[in-house]
Amino acid sequence: MKKDRRISQIIDVSTPALTSGMETVDSILEKYPQYAPELRPRLEAVLWLTDAKKNLEPPQGFIISSRACMEIQLEAIQPQGFWYRLLKRYTPQRWVFNVAAPIVLVLLLALIINSLVLTARLSIPGESLYSTKILLENLQLALTFDQAKKTDLYIQYSRERTTEFVELVLEGDYEVLPTAAARSESEIIAYLHSINKLKNQNLTEELPKKAELKETLSNEIYILNILKGSSPPTAYPGIELAIQAAQSGLFALH
Amino acid sequence: MPGRSDKDHELIKQAQRGDKHAFGELYEIHAPVIYRYLFAHLDNSMDAEDLTGEVFLKAWQSLPKYIERGVPFLAFLFRIAHNVLVDHYRQNNRLEPKSSDDMDSYKEDGCAEPVDLIGSQMEHQQILKVLSKLRTDYQSVLTLRFISELSPEETAQVMNRSAGAIRVLQHRALRALRDEMDRTG
Repeated sequence: MKKDRRISQIIDVSTPALTSGMETVDSILEKYPQYAPELRPRLEAVLWLTDAKKNLEPPQGFIISSRACMEIQLEAIQPQGFWYRLLKRYTPQRWVFNVAAPIVLVLLLALIINSLVLTARLSIPGESLYSTKILLENLQLALTFDQAKKTDLYIQYSRERTTEFVELVLEGDYEVLPTAAARSESEIIAYLHSINKLKNQNLTEELPKKAELKETLSNEIYILNILKGSSPPTAYPGIELAIQAAQSGLFALH
Repeated sequence: MPGRSDKDHELIKQAQRGDKHAFGELYEIHAPVIYRYLFAHLDNSMDAEDLTGEVFLKAWQSLPKYIERGVPFLAFLFRIAHNVLVDHYRQNNRLEPKSSDDMDSYKEDGCAEPVDLIGSQMEHQQILKVLSKLRTDYQSVLTLRFISELSPEETAQVMNRSAGAIRVLQHRALRALRDEMDRTG
């Protein structure tokens, strides 16, 4: 291996002199007699390649004349930047863009909608996305055709209203409390209507649903009374309204 | 070739700004080397002339993509030249250059070549015949080192190998070439 490397070095050093005619194969071999058997065939090959190179030179005047032609052609061809390749048809960049763009858009849209829905679901009355939350709930109700499931949704939304109410009191948003109490009342009324519809359809689920509502309303009254005890007097009217709504619901059930 | 990369660097910067004359300078510097490389793989000078132009036009179009990260402009050109050659073979439904036997087709085509040009073509076909018998990597290293006159380091960059690997490859390729010369006569 060391010998091979030495021979390669000799060839690298001797090639310019050999190709320019300043040295011959024999004169080089005289300098390195110990490598002569390996060096000779390789130097002869280099000499052959040097002769071959002369046959491969461009025709005289070709470079100058073709340069002029090429500069004229360059006038018509602009360098292709990234955006050019992207906007040009049938380029790999364009193909990747065509495939990737809709996928990225759909994913982005799904991400935005998902974040929006999640934020809306966590919103409370008085916040900008609260109307979206109510809209989503109404949409879910409209798309639920099974009366029993619809009744379940009403009870779920009724509990949601109580949670919102508690959050409003804890955050000190007392001026929104009457509106929230009115919404809570309308949820209870809707639930009662739904139970009546179940009754008309002779479904066996009526009694358990009634018991569930009774339990929910009792819990609500209990929580609201605790809230009332720990809140400033300015919150009383709103909390009172919510308690009255829950009590009316209980009364209607009886 | 000392100072070549410095000059290239300046000309490339100008060309990237759209200076066609600077690119013309680059063409004048590097076209002979690219031409020899292409002609060593092609069977006629007309194709070599056309493909040399094509290499530089593609280089011009790809110039905004070209960022000097230790890869000299010549290596960039050789990579384009390699791709252009592959496309050329593909378009002509062949993977190897013509053998010297194809020289007969010139006579049959009735091309009115001058006598000295035919002599030169015969020699060229002989070169192709010998080189085409070698392994592809041997052909590449010999063409780049002794016909395009690249240094071992430049050859290494074009062939994506280390300079040491290029020296080993050259050592073997020269021996293989000498043996092939004996066989071909």
